[in-house]
Amino acid sequence: MLRMRGIGKRFGAVPVLTGVDFECWGGEVHVLAGENGAGKSTLIKILGGAHTDYDGTIELDGAVVRPRSPREASALGIAIIHQELSLVPTLGAADNLFLGRWPTGPLGLVRGRAQREAAVRALERFGLDVDPDRPVGELGPATRQLIEIAKALDLGRSRGVQGGAANDPDRDARVIVMDEPTSALAGPDVAELHARVFDLRAHGCAIVYITHRMEEIDQVAERVTVLRDGRRVGSAPAAEVSPALLLRWIGGREAPEPYQRAAPPSDAFARLPDRLRVEEIHVTARGRRVVDAVTLDVRPGEIVGLAGLQGSGASELLLGLFGAMGGAAEARVRIDGEEVRIRAPRDAIARGVALLTNDRQASGLVLPLSVAANLTLPSLERLSPGGIRRPALEAATAAELMRSLAIRAASPTLEVRNLSGGNQQKVALGKWLPLEPRLLLLDEPTRGVDVGAKREIYQLLDRLTAQGIAILVASSDLPELLALSDRVVVLHRGRVTARLARGEATPERVLAAAMGDDGTAETSP
Amino acid sequence: MKKLAAPFVTLMFLACGAPDSTSTPAPASAPAEQEASTAAAEKVRIGMSQCNLGEPWRVQMNADIKAAAAEHPEIDMVWKDAQNDTLKQRAHVEELVSAEVDLILVSPKEAAPLTEPVAKAVEAGIPVIVLDRKVLGDKYTTFIGADNVAIGRAAGKWLAGALQGKGKIVELEGLMTSTPGQDRHTGFLEGIAGSGLEVAFTADMKWLEPDARREMESALARLPKIDAVYAHNDPGAHGAYLAAKAAAREEEMMFVGIDALPHEGVAYVKQGILDATFQYPTGGREAIETALAILRGETPQKEITLGSRVFTAANADSGGEPIP
Amino acid sequence: MLALLLVLLIGAIFDAGGAFWKASMHRDALRQASVYGILACGMTLVIVTGGIDLAVGSILALSAVAFSLMTLHWSWPPWWSVPATLLLGAAAGSVSGGLVSRFKIQPFIATLAMMVFARGLAKTVSGGMKISTAVPDGAGGFRYTDVPALFRAIDSRVLGGNLSTVTVIFAVCAALSWIALACHRWGRQLYAIGGNEEAARLSGVPVRAAKLGAYLASGLLAAMAGICQAAQEQQGDPEAGAGYELSAIAIVVIGGTHLAGGRGGIGQTLVGTLTIGYLEKILSINAVPEATRLMLTGAIVIAAVLTQRRGDTR
Repeated sequence: MLRMRGIGKRFGAVPVLTGVDFECWGGEVHVLAGENGAGKSTLIKILGGAHTDYDGTIELDGAVVRPRSPREASALGIAIIHQELSLVPTLGAADNLFLGRWPTGPLGLVRGRAQREAAVRALERFGLDVDPDRPVGELGPATRQLIEIAKALDLGRSRGVQGGAANDPDRDARVIVMDEPTSALAGPDVAELHARVFDLRAHGCAIVYITHRMEEIDQVAERVTVLRDGRRVGSAPAAEVSPALLLRWIGGREAPEPYQRAAPPSDAFARLPDRLRVEEIHVTARGRRVVDAVTLDVRPGEIVGLAGLQGSGASELLLGLFGAMGGAAEARVRIDGEEVRIRAPRDAIARGVALLTNDRQASGLVLPLSVAANLTLPSLERLSPGGIRRPALEAATAAELMRSLAIRAASPTLEVRNLSGGNQQKVALGKWLPLEPRLLLLDEPTRGVDVGAKREIYQLLDRLTAQGIAILVASSDLPELLALSDRVVVLHRGRVTARLARGEATPERVLAAAMGDDGTAETSP
Repeated sequence: MKKLAAPFVTLMFLACGAPDSTSTPAPASAPAEQEASTAAAEKVRIGMSQCNLGEPWRVQMNADIKAAAAEHPEIDMVWKDAQNDTLKQRAHVEELVSAEVDLILVSPKEAAPLTEPVAKAVEAGIPVIVLDRKVLGDKYTTFIGADNVAIGRAAGKWLAGALQGKGKIVELEGLMTSTPGQDRHTGFLEGIAGSGLEVAFTADMKWLEPDARREMESALARLPKIDAVYAHNDPGAHGAYLAAKAAAREEEMMFVGIDALPHEGVAYVKQGILDATFQYPTGGREAIETALAILRGETPQKEITLGSRVFTAANADSGGEPIP
Repeated sequence: MLALLLVLLIGAIFDAGGAFWKASMHRDALRQASVYGILACGMTLVIVTGGIDLAVGSILALSAVAFSLMTLHWSWPPWWSVPATLLLGAAAGSVSGGLVSRFKIQPFIATLAMMVFARGLAKTVSGGMKISTAVPDGAGGFRYTDVPALFRAIDSRVLGGNLSTVTVIFAVCAALSWIALACHRWGRQLYAIGGNEEAARLSGVPVRAAKLGAYLASGLLAAMAGICQAAQEQQGDPEAGAGYELSAIAIVVIGGTHLAGGRGGIGQTLVGTLTIGYLEKILSINAVPEATRLMLTGAIVIAAVLTQRRGDTR
């Protein structure tokens, strides 16, 4: 159905794609894999009409096409679900679902009721219980991702099943591209998404699926194509590709062993008081108690994992501890045995607490500023005694961080927006290190990060804990969370449902607790 | 006749200011005087709709009206400032009509939009005196204003005389899309016609002093010899003077402005900055006098053209001289 | 930069009968641009945070009126009148800043309100009249004071008459703003706020105080511009500076500072000031009619932004 031949693209003098062939048949899920910066996104942008100057040809059902804009691509039946969400945050789900193809009456007026009803149907089919008029910016990231997917899925559905709301059959998507659709999703949501993908496949859509998760390739792929440094390094039916081969294709090296935390808490810290002790933290958001009387502690040198599905309150717990929620968070907090009041991020920072947010682009980094400026932002006050900045001191600090964290950037003066996801994440984390924090709060530390960078981040966390730094980490990637954590605290709707030590924390037990089983009720086998 | 009557009645009002003095019989039996004494007993309310108070000249007009009205204790003034908004001024006139004032003074921002509300007021039996800028048609009681062409002509003639019919002039124009700017230009050209004076540099300074200074600096850069600057308002002439002074060339030329507000143009003449300024009268005092005449039942002239005065170093302290 | 060169090239070609090559022409161009330039420096600080300050023109007028009152009517010495005027401007700026940072009112609305308020205050204080050397004597007449030495000093020249004092004041303001933005911690904080306010807050940047400071500085510089304006006009005009806020914004944007915040700087604003300043001067010495000037200015502003953006692409 879709055939791309000899695709090449350069940015200035830098080739980002060279002679890439790619094809995807109807009724097939074709996984496109590769490290960040391998050229996957560029290939997708060419297909979606976002880049128009490229070499090679695109054929759709045997006819050569050359989409010159996202609108043209969409008219050709190519639907792209972007990794960076393309929803308009101020519009409701209904308006977003029909963005650019609102059902209109004779005068070009939007038929609001018809649209709303169609939207509710579409959302219900996808199992989303949200107010279709509520601005999507107020919804959580996972819900937004699901709406984004629902938007594209509804396009596909209306072709296969019933009329849907689209009154123009030409607009039905025949080729659906999903760019890391599950990066913000937790277990059951992922399974739900996969079910939708299989539905679409059954209706004859060609699905291009980009993912960093090895287990997903196993679950969904018929075929796998891997890009590395802008070239296709391999393409084969999924069944014929072993995980080891896949990793060799992706990384150009042998498969790494599964990650093992190297430094469990050392006895050296045994006599110190708890690094963090939180009693009864409550966080209120949007009129609801999203964290309800959570008590927990973290020892020096220990990594405590916060597990939970969407809506568990783990992110809000971290933000509340950091003072980022202002008066919405109440808690009794002790750090190193000393009672502290944290009302703003500055208070937390002064106490040696640092926060890595779950969305580096929205709240972790200042994108238009340079790598060096971002790396020195939290420590700016130390680096500029008397208010006057010391450029040499800043440069040395940034250079040292870039070296020790292996941040790959052409120059420290490069705007941080130009870095790949993994390197951006290292900047968002590394900027705290010059402050010599005592406690790190990490929210999704490896979201949207390639395999190599993930590993480097894990190793960094190991090194930090060996120095006695305590870490409280939330992650929706359960294998990652289990590999990292010395202890796991499981949250369900803002309450603790389980506390598991490393040995006890199996995926099954964590998942059960995350879904609300607090161990008090008898579980049926 | 009317001109004589006005001051006389004014005196009457002063004499009859106290309420109990109404018992004093009127000295003559003329109906006008009788009405005047009844008017003195009752308050008269006069509404004044000013189009904006951003320009010092209009502030001066209101001040003149206020000063004239203060001499008549029976007058109650109602002030409206439309802040340069035509629609707001329309509404103000309509408000004054529904408030049933006895007479309306209006200094319109623009002619066409105010024609209808003014006509409606007249139809409702409220006399309307239009100041400075006219409305369209003849549905108003009286117009009082000055003649910009005549003032420009006087300025031209004065310069032609002062320079003895020879020299290069810089003309700094007011906003050229405005009628006063166009009239002051046309009149000036008429005034210097045939005299041998030549306008060597013209620029639009939009009535603004900083712009006048900038344009004058350009004129100074281009012209090795300038004999006089004619600016369409006094701040413009003042800005030109500052530019010439900064170039140490203020002695080589004369500076002439228009408006002659007491604290602006006249002050500049007294300080030796300007050589002459031509008054653009506000008509505030005349407006109040005419208003009282109308309220007495007299029929005023449909159009009253105000005379202008020229202020020079020689006569500024004695209040200027009327221009011919 | 390209736009500035283009403007200078146009000036060199249409040299107004050789007037373009006189030193006095350049001195005057710089003098005329100085007041705009001072406003634009303050505007840069605010725009870098992703905000806007529409009040600068009105604060200029308020300061010019207050400064003239103190100097002409009350005969205050310079060491009182200058700091008092600057304090007034800073106070007005910090009210805008407080509305923006503390009460989270959008900068456009907050400073629009301050723009209207300060203009009204200037008219109230002055009674709607220009505050000039003709001082009302209380009896309907006037007494005349001399133009004070301070006014003459600000409107004088240095370097053998080749540079106006106001241009020197502008240069000092630009230098101080540059130091604040490029060399001081506060400047880096302003960039961070403009680039991503939430990330800046979560990195421990004192967002409220830093933002308040930007508006305060903008008000302070507007007061400095008001002092220069009053000295050059030898009076305090409550109508002065109308529309100057738009010129200041245009200068900042032509220089290359992004309205979205997070990028730009005083260097760019300097180039923008020279571009607009020379453009106005060249149109003026060539006696281009007003209507044509407006069209040419519009066209060149767009050309400047386009060439600027081309230079910006990476």
